[in-house]
Amino acid sequence: MTQKSWMYSVLEAVQWEMQNDPKMIWIFELTPPVASTPGRPVINLETEFGRKRVVNTGIDENWMASCCLGASLAGSPSATYIPYQGALMPFQVIQNVAGKLRHMTGGRASMPVTWIIEMTGQTPGFAGQHSCYEEDSYYAHIPGVRTVVPSTPFDAKGMMHASLRSPDPVVFLYPAGLRTLVEDVPDEPYEVSLEKAAVRMEGSDLTIVSSGAGMPEVVKAAETLRDEGMGVEVVDLRVLKEMDTDTLVNSVAKTKRLLTVDQSYFTLCPGAEVIARVATNVDGAKYKRVAFPDAPPPASPEMFLWMRPDADKIAGAARGLV
Amino acid sequence: MDNTTGFSVEPPEAADAPSSESRRGFLKFAALTGAVVSMTANRALADGDIAFHAQDLSDEQLVDLFRTILKIRWHERTQADEMLSNPDYRGYNHFYAGQEAVASGVCATLRNSGPFDQIDVVYSSHRPSGHAIAKGVDIPRMCAENDFRATGLNGGYAAEMHLSDPDVGFIGADGMIGPSMPIATGSAFAFRARGSDQVSVVFGGDGTYATPHFHSALNNAKILDLPFIYVLENNLYHQYAHYTYSSPHKDIASAAAAYGIPSRVVDGQDVIQVYNAAKEAVDRARSGGGPSFIEAKTYRYYNHWGAPGAKAGELGAFGYDPLAITSFRPDREVRAWMQRDPVDIARRTLIEWGALDAAGAEAVEADVKAEIAAAFAWAAEQPLCTPEDGLEHVFTQGTVPARQFG
Ligand SMILES: Cc1ncc(C[n+]2csc(CCOP(=O)(O)OP(=O)(O)O)c2C)c(N)n1
Ligand SMILES: [Mg+2]
Repeated sequence: MTQKSWMYSVLEAVQWEMQNDPKMIWIFELTPPVASTPGRPVINLETEFGRKRVVNTGIDENWMASCCLGASLAGSPSATYIPYQGALMPFQVIQNVAGKLRHMTGGRASMPVTWIIEMTGQTPGFAGQHSCYEEDSYYAHIPGVRTVVPSTPFDAKGMMHASLRSPDPVVFLYPAGLRTLVEDVPDEPYEVSLEKAAVRMEGSDLTIVSSGAGMPEVVKAAETLRDEGMGVEVVDLRVLKEMDTDTLVNSVAKTKRLLTVDQSYFTLCPGAEVIARVATNVDGAKYKRVAFPDAPPPASPEMFLWMRPDADKIAGAARGLV
Repeated sequence: MDNTTGFSVEPPEAADAPSSESRRGFLKFAALTGAVVSMTANRALADGDIAFHAQDLSDEQLVDLFRTILKIRWHERTQADEMLSNPDYRGYNHFYAGQEAVASGVCATLRNSGPFDQIDVVYSSHRPSGHAIAKGVDIPRMCAENDFRATGLNGGYAAEMHLSDPDVGFIGADGMIGPSMPIATGSAFAFRARGSDQVSVVFGGDGTYATPHFHSALNNAKILDLPFIYVLENNLYHQYAHYTYSSPHKDIASAAAAYGIPSRVVDGQDVIQVYNAAKEAVDRARSGGGPSFIEAKTYRYYNHWGAPGAKAGELGAFGYDPLAITSFRPDREVRAWMQRDPVDIARRTLIEWGALDAAGAEAVEADVKAEIAAAFAWAAEQPLCTPEDGLEHVFTQGTVPARQFG
């Protein structure tokens, strides 16, 4: 066990898989696959595996995503790191090719490909086109592609191993706002399921469901509410596709109150799907949905911070529900 | 097409140096005969292939060119100093210092004022402050925008990477690498469709070469003969990678030539050379001759973003290599390029041409410094934004509902 960041944990998984499968490749654009953490060796995929397997390319996210898909179709597990500015550039190839291929080919296509796609937009002043939290909604809509969004370094490592070993294509969302988060992460390889949500806090008055970069503020709000005497159950979706309906339904069947929290735009945010799934399975529950308004995030910190869901707003919505 | 190295012919210099007019006459002659002219070791390299259009500029226009370069330079320096020494300052920039001659030379050939359906349009990138100033954007309001003020150019919604001022044809900055190029060809398409002689210009970096948009824009501009000019500022790096990581061409202009587009490589540190190439391209576009491509070899003095490695009061940034990246630029490369500074080159050219004397140049610079300082001071007094206004301007009318409170 060592304290590791989200990215160190991910690269550790990638490194292990690359060491154990010489066919595997990694493509990057401007973020070198380099990570360090006290007490552990620096990971540098480029120097370790060489420029034949690990390539720094030009600014062409469509090619990066397509290249990895093609490599996987030829039997090479592959992964790439798409920076947030180009987060939706690969959409067509993921949505209209990868997502349909297995089904279209009668199950014959195998695609051990993982697209790590950065999500950002929590930095005041840096919004507009440099904000892309809504990508969770877009990618989660695609059938045939597993879309996951780990919110802890531990999950990130385990889900990365699982993704790289999966013959299904995986969109692996990286909430860059979690960059500085560290926790104890095992040095050995292990898998975390690509199908399960996680209950982060247990309680019987209210269920709060969120994911990715929404989690730290949700946990903060839940702790405040708990101190006020409210029994809050916090569910971290972890997986947007296929969404873990059972965990959600079981929780709300108990609490009868559901609050969803997203950094994504309100319309069709993951919380909308959560509420729909729960509402068709649980009788007599109450619902609320907190999300970013249906407006591009403005640069001004005054406007942006007011619009962004945070612990205060989440706690306020929760109090209104209980 | 590599005109940036190997100049050796010495001009007849010194005692009998010609007066301003005849000096320019000489240059024109030299250009027409194809002679390569170098007036001092580090500047003003006339390209014998391009007609010497700058000789037609009046002294006043030449001084304006110099003034534009200085405005950009002092905007960048003042903002860097603010970022480095004023803890209350919130703005940021992708600094353009070092590349001033490119924006200034190109925009001086464009129509920058008048009715919207007659002015030329410019599309910019994530590094827009130089392009915006050269196109004539109101500097105080731009400073206010970059500091997220309600009275800024775009009401505090945009900030640096998304500046826009259609009134002067600055359609705007695009924080993305690639998308602006095909969009700029769309404006050119409209100009051709409605029989206008307007032109559409896009500024992009060496990083744009690898994007699909680069190739799509050039192909369509050529096939449709669009009044479109692609100005590629090759400052050698995209973020932390040397451009050879993403382009097989030494001169990216040769890729444009392969699309059948007239292409030039110019010394981007010499505003006169940039002007000549841009004038040629604009004349071609206005007269129905189709697209052009200009690759300006240039360099940025600061790092990719913000002011890391810079010191208040000093130009340039050094000693910054956050990720210990193998292809990162060395300090000595920065210093070498600073020897061919676009401000110095322009100043010396104008003085040699008699458009200005040394004292006059100093006076212009003092003027510009004061103007920029006043712009920042005005911006700092401007009101902050009202939070609820974030729900406006999503559509032409009305506001969208708040959703963050549940
Ligand atoms: C589609 C897209 N991918 C990635 C980025 C991140 N990015 C911002 S600037 C930049 C480098 C651009 O380099 P270049 O075009 O040479 O312009 P310069 O910064 O040198 O002015 C990159 C990769 C982006 N803005 N858009
Ligand atoms: Mg560049």
